[in-house]
Amino acid sequence: MKKYSAILLIAAITVFCFTGCTKNAKTAEVKETVTEETIFSAGEKMTEAELLEKAKGESGDFIVYGNTSRIASAVQGFVQKYGSQLGLSDSNAVGTKMNDADIYTTLLQEYMGSSAKGASLVMIQDGAQLQTYRSGTDILVNFVPASMKGVVAENDLVPLVHQYINKLFIWNNIGTSGQVISNVWQLTEPQWKNKVFFKNPTTEQVNMNFLVMCTSDAWASKLADAYKEYFGKDISLGSYKNAGYKWVAEFIANCNFSISSDTTICKEMAKPDSKGCTGLFVLSKFRDVDAKIKGNLSVGAWQEKAIKPFAGFMYPMYVQLTSKANRPYTAMLFTDYLMNSEGFLPWGKDIGAYSTNPNVPVNEKDGDKPITFWKECLVAEDADFIRVNKTAVTDFVNEQIAKK
Amino acid sequence: MNIALPVKKTDIRRAQSRIRDFLSNPANIILLVTVSVLGFFTLYPLVLLVADTVKVNIADLMYPELIGKKVGDVTDFHWKRMLFSEMSGIYFRTPLRNAVVMSLLASVISIIYGGTVAFLITRTDMKGKKFISSVFIFPYIMPSWTIATFWKNFFQNPDIGSYQGGLLYWLTGIKVPEAMVYGLVPCAIVLGLHYAPFAYILIGGILRNMDANLEEAATILKASRAKIIGKITLPIVLPALLSTFLLVFSSSMSAYAVPQFLGGAGGFNVLTTTLKQFITNGWYGQGYIMAIFMIVFGLAILGINQMVTGSRRSFTTVTGKSGQVSYIKLGVWKYIVAAVLFILCIFCSFMPLVSFALESCTFIPGDYSRLTLAFWIDRGYPVENGLHGLFFENQVWSAFRNSLVLSASCAIFAGTVGMLIGYAVARKRGTKLAKAADNIAFLPYLMPSMAMGAAFLAIGAKMGLSKTMALLIIVGSIKYLPFASRSGINAMLQLSGEIEEAAIIVNVKWWKRMLKIIFPIQKSTFISGYLLPFTSCMRELSLFTLLSSGSIYLMTTLLEYWQVWCDQSANALNLLIVITVLAVNLLVNKLTGASIDKGVGG
Repeated sequence: MKKYSAILLIAAITVFCFTGCTKNAKTAEVKETVTEETIFSAGEKMTEAELLEKAKGESGDFIVYGNTSRIASAVQGFVQKYGSQLGLSDSNAVGTKMNDADIYTTLLQEYMGSSAKGASLVMIQDGAQLQTYRSGTDILVNFVPASMKGVVAENDLVPLVHQYINKLFIWNNIGTSGQVISNVWQLTEPQWKNKVFFKNPTTEQVNMNFLVMCTSDAWASKLADAYKEYFGKDISLGSYKNAGYKWVAEFIANCNFSISSDTTICKEMAKPDSKGCTGLFVLSKFRDVDAKIKGNLSVGAWQEKAIKPFAGFMYPMYVQLTSKANRPYTAMLFTDYLMNSEGFLPWGKDIGAYSTNPNVPVNEKDGDKPITFWKECLVAEDADFIRVNKTAVTDFVNEQIAKK
Repeated sequence: MNIALPVKKTDIRRAQSRIRDFLSNPANIILLVTVSVLGFFTLYPLVLLVADTVKVNIADLMYPELIGKKVGDVTDFHWKRMLFSEMSGIYFRTPLRNAVVMSLLASVISIIYGGTVAFLITRTDMKGKKFISSVFIFPYIMPSWTIATFWKNFFQNPDIGSYQGGLLYWLTGIKVPEAMVYGLVPCAIVLGLHYAPFAYILIGGILRNMDANLEEAATILKASRAKIIGKITLPIVLPALLSTFLLVFSSSMSAYAVPQFLGGAGGFNVLTTTLKQFITNGWYGQGYIMAIFMIVFGLAILGINQMVTGSRRSFTTVTGKSGQVSYIKLGVWKYIVAAVLFILCIFCSFMPLVSFALESCTFIPGDYSRLTLAFWIDRGYPVENGLHGLFFENQVWSAFRNSLVLSASCAIFAGTVGMLIGYAVARKRGTKLAKAADNIAFLPYLMPSMAMGAAFLAIGAKMGLSKTMALLIIVGSIKYLPFASRSGINAMLQLSGEIEEAAIIVNVKWWKRMLKIIFPIQKSTFISGYLLPFTSCMRELSLFTLLSSGSIYLMTTLLEYWQVWCDQSANALNLLIVITVLAVNLLVNKLTGASIDKGVGG
């Protein structure tokens, strides 16, 4: 027993020592960050050529994390263009796909550590969480390239939005004629039970954010109007706070969470076996569907009649530099690259991704539309609203899933 | 004062002499180092885990209840919310109930299935023992999620879930009920099948060495077969049953991929899936409470196990060789039983491989009418996703190399340390230090991989080892040390101390005794202790995801990445992982006679 106590004591002391070290380290990092922030603000005034010149003086690995699988191709493209000048190759410039939670966990540890293998730049989806980390920590720095000032819309500058992505109501059209869904309240009807494929919002944050937005006063009001239009009577809320909560509850009751990837949902939806099913998933996943069965899919937003009150939702993909970037000027140059047509190519060559740089054209093949069109018919994220309401709506959504 | 001084000096001298004596024994040094170093690396992550449950993390500031608090502030919010709030039913009690029921069922399935096969192979004259015995452990070598994938690919009913027919439906038109495809039952069956080799190895180890005279004496005394099993066989295998229960229950409680994959339209929430949900939101405090409960359950069962058996080492004890082995004559049933087991083994061991191979050759996943080898051998791009055929994809070979280096290093590190711990624990058997080392070496087994990975991310950052292969090797070695230390203890307990004593008398040095006497005698069991960490590392995902991201691609992390957007390539990669592990096991078995069953079961 005494030996166990001794072991525990030794462990506790060691832990205490480590914790103590951490606090000292954190204090030191804050000072360092202040210095580096001046680098970033100076970088905002530099042209591409000036950034390149500064980046040439940097060495070491260039690591990028992104909640998008295309990040690897974007880094490869960057290496092809600047690699020889910056000493970058496929072995020391790496773009890795990671989800937001893993990115934050990793960044926090990298911030406290001293590894030269830390990320210099990240691409993140969840705006509300980003806001929390931006206000509560010093791990991220917003950087707007000089070339984007006055070009990108003011409200997309802080934090810098690289692109918008949309998730749309898309259905299998085998055996159907005309528009299958014209009002989102249709999806709450019994015939859609388990036929609406949607990635489980408890694991997909942008899906949860969409549901949170539906409970906002503005969208609840639109949903109430759509209810009246579809059912021909005023909505009866019962115990629900507003029409948004009612729709979310009834929508979840009909959702099918058996597939955990938008790519798979899209591929499965296109198969003849999925006759009579619909899904709410990323439009860009069309690229992965076998050409022979792609025609089995119909996009709700492209039908003659607009879906009331929304045809899906859209969310931003943010670009942020890390405050302890191993290669800060390379990261700034990469941001500049990403914001232009060349850097946007990995996303822009397909449909379903919309650059915030209006000079980057939308891929209009297969009928895609410009961002202005989508802003009219999709639910857009409001990070402030989500941040305040996320925990309550998450509880509500979990309650509804438990009832399934 | 002057009188007291010599007494003190004597005391000091005595103490010094005692310390010298203590340290002159290599076993003591090994135990001391094990307890201090391993104690740090196992207790520190635990401390971090617990600390996160009582402090405010950055993302927790979204909760209105925590407005005004600062990051790092101490709070009881997470515990209150998890255990006593109106949401605790959804977030905690239901997942806990599901996890416990799933783990209990999986334990029962593995004990019944694995135990029966062990009994048939060791105590009967059933045919085809060699084949069944070697193929039966395949499901353990395969990652549990690959079996779950196969289960879904095979049983999927076109009226439910993703509305696609599986292989069974495609071949026979049979529609399996939803409860057999998604939810509690398939999760428990898949985990039960995956861990049945534990039962087979542990129970088989005891049965193989049980003296048949005991049963024969009972038969002469006209005891019924049921009575013999109830009064003789079962009490003898009880420690092995409990040990199987401990291992399967703890592993099933920590299983994430299986319930996630077979959750179905409504999802199937267990502690790990809820833990993941909280971690995804950055709400670590609430998430880690789940992890703590998983560990507590593991410790409780470990405690019960020790109480019942008197000592935990019993769960792998081999109690001396039997003088006689007489097989129960099954008559014509020896063919029928063998045929049934043969079909079951084919289903659990080979069909998953066939399923992955088929899926990797489809143009459209799930559609077997048109097949292609493009996803294996195309030097270009089979589809427009930027991936070459598997054999020509550079990422694969880089990940393959990394996985092999990592797994081999972990095997060498954990296997060697495990062997030394085995030596020290066996030599100092019964001492508190030996017990402490034995228990600490087992602790990592009870830690959920996901939480352990997150804790080592912090440790790595503090040690300047972030994103290095060294960190992966450290964490992998620690996580799988319990297998190697079990194997080491097994091997050493079978070895009489007299052999080493003879060498000590003629002044043979310790390292020479280890290399020239002990290791050669128990070579195959020790090497099996190297095989287990190797196998486990090759198929581990959760432990390495955070630690390797952005720097080192492993086969499993690459697979996770590919699964999202290219089924065919992912299935091909999956097959490559399983075949690699099987090939290495087979090769080591042929070269050294070692096998996984010897490592766990002795």
